[in-house]
Amino acid sequence: MTHDDTLSRRDILKKTFALGSGVFLCTFAVKAAKGESPDPTPAPKGAGDPTGSYKLPNGYEPSAHYYGYGIDLDKCIGCTRCVDACKTENSVSRTEPNFRTWVERYVIRDDDTLEVCSPKGGLDPYPAIEDPGSVAKSFFVPKMCAHCERSPCEQVCPVGATLKSPDGVVLIDKKYCIGCGYCIQACPYGCRYFDESTRTAGKCTLCYHRITRGLRPACAEICPTGARVFGDLREKDGPLAKFLREHRVQVLKPHMGTRPKLYYHNLDKEVR
Amino acid sequence: MGLVRFVVQALRCALSGGIAYRLWLAFLVALAAWGGLAYVDQIRHGLIATNMRDQVSWAFYIGNFTFLVGVAAAAIILIIPAYVYDWKPIKEVAILGEILALSALVMCMLFVFVDLGRPDRFWHLLPGLGTLNWPMSLLAWDVLALNGYFVLNLVIVGYLLFCSYNRRPYNKHFVVPLILISIPAAISIHTVTAFIYNGMAARPFWNASILAPRFLASAMCSGPAILLILFQLLQRTTRFEIKDEALWKIAEIMAYAMFVNLFLLGAEVFKEVYSSTEHIVHFNYLFFGLGEHGALVKYGWTSVLCSLSAFLLFIVPATRRHPVTLNLGCLLIYIGVYIEKGMGLVIPGLTPDALGEIYEYAPTLTEVRIGVACFSVGFLVYTVLTKIAVAISLGDLTRDTVPGLAPAGQAPKPVTADA
Repeated sequence: MTHDDTLSRRDILKKTFALGSGVFLCTFAVKAAKGESPDPTPAPKGAGDPTGSYKLPNGYEPSAHYYGYGIDLDKCIGCTRCVDACKTENSVSRTEPNFRTWVERYVIRDDDTLEVCSPKGGLDPYPAIEDPGSVAKSFFVPKMCAHCERSPCEQVCPVGATLKSPDGVVLIDKKYCIGCGYCIQACPYGCRYFDESTRTAGKCTLCYHRITRGLRPACAEICPTGARVFGDLREKDGPLAKFLREHRVQVLKPHMGTRPKLYYHNLDKEVR
Repeated sequence: MGLVRFVVQALRCALSGGIAYRLWLAFLVALAAWGGLAYVDQIRHGLIATNMRDQVSWAFYIGNFTFLVGVAAAAIILIIPAYVYDWKPIKEVAILGEILALSALVMCMLFVFVDLGRPDRFWHLLPGLGTLNWPMSLLAWDVLALNGYFVLNLVIVGYLLFCSYNRRPYNKHFVVPLILISIPAAISIHTVTAFIYNGMAARPFWNASILAPRFLASAMCSGPAILLILFQLLQRTTRFEIKDEALWKIAEIMAYAMFVNLFLLGAEVFKEVYSSTEHIVHFNYLFFGLGEHGALVKYGWTSVLCSLSAFLLFIVPATRRHPVTLNLGCLLIYIGVYIEKGMGLVIPGLTPDALGEIYEYAPTLTEVRIGVACFSVGFLVYTVLTKIAVAISLGDLTRDTVPGLAPAGQAPKPVTADA
């Protein structure tokens, strides 16, 4: 066989047709699949876990809200009651290192060395600071999912089990998640974990079962100093709008282009 | 009808053979069973049976997967010279490359499967049955690309063997376009696999545009390294004719591929070291360790040294033609790329994690056993398919073969697209 008869014009046409029809069929299959579950509407089956299938309360209109969260670091005293409340409210394992929110303690010394710790997310006591005389500054930073507008975790999920509801909450359909772990490494903020009880990914739902009923998330509810401010960005006189108006705020890793909706007041440059 | 008979006869052929052959099959089955039991354990306890944690959520399994995608893609190193440049000596063995691609893909799928927390929901990934997040997720792209490439190779190999079995020439207007399509398909599976890592802004070690070219270059070395060793085995154990020229040509192509691979590595080293941004931390973890955390350092350097010395062995014609240095080179390449495209890619990408935390990963025995099982199944597939392909090519297995009768020893007619 020579080159000429291998690559005749006819062959090339046939080949192109075969390739084209293959691509067409693939697209078709994908389109057909997209029509099926999970329902992309705001009531994902797994949201509001651990009880599983969660229904939106009557009269709640997701598109009328857009939630965000503010944290005033000046007010955080590191009591970590938010970590405890989150575990209780959402039945998050206390034995596994699963945290939907946690509190980090930063210690910066005079020579610019940095020590960060968060023993059991803050549930265990922070160790005593050695050589307090050399401490330049020390502060607490609560962390949690920023419910990003452009969330990498939602982007990478191969089966669409992570979704962003119209009210701006990034949720996992735990009944559809296959537990591949891709989203856990895609999050630039380390806010996702592998939940051993369901063997799927887990994360903060912003207490979706509470906020859709007009309540605050457990962490914001319990915060004794008012450092944690939950609110609806659409509500112009609401607590979050007020927080954003009255404070200079920053988000973590803005260069990632994820557009987080977790706003910190008085964030130190060392926090990442 | 004919197809059923073909499959039955082929399987019968695959299961019969000399004592050494049957012992080899039994050995692979035993290894697969040993690892299979470990998987039962993992199912019972969950992924906690592995050493993967939230900081390092992909590790040994996905490292092997990535390496094996490269092996699968490397079939084209035979197809391009055989079909595009019409180089006869390689054409005769090209089908063995396609069989390697099939076996590697089987292993790839197994490694993804065992990495899932919910293997019972595996079907969510299947096009048509589940809901693929396509085109957003690169993992969804990879599912389509790998399955497509698998089907393509299965059709080519199956059709060529079936025609040869029936002693009839195959329709080249059907096969040649498929073979030509398999070239971009092979490149695409590896590119898409690279993009899975590449697309993550949160992981700067992977978020480098040089990643996909590096994947391709290293794949062009690792797959052929395995093939060269297999070809020599076939040369010794069967009448299947494989010319030494074919082996030398493949080794020469591998030398060029390894040069590109090392050049791209150098380009990356320069960028990391000269600009020395905070992203260099992952690179340092791989090659120098971070404080007391240095589990990967010895592997990082082993990989570079193996690749470099294999390149030197293969670029000199005398050493790539000498059987000892040829096989040594293959072994060095295998080690070099296995580390580089396996754990040497996955682990430093995730260490330190996004919060700066360092979790030093090392696989558990469960993980190693399951990995052994995946490899055993892949080797089993390769052994069986090669046995059938060689028997058909040599004319020992045709539709006229009477079961139980000694092979008739007709004139060998290799399976090629050359009828």
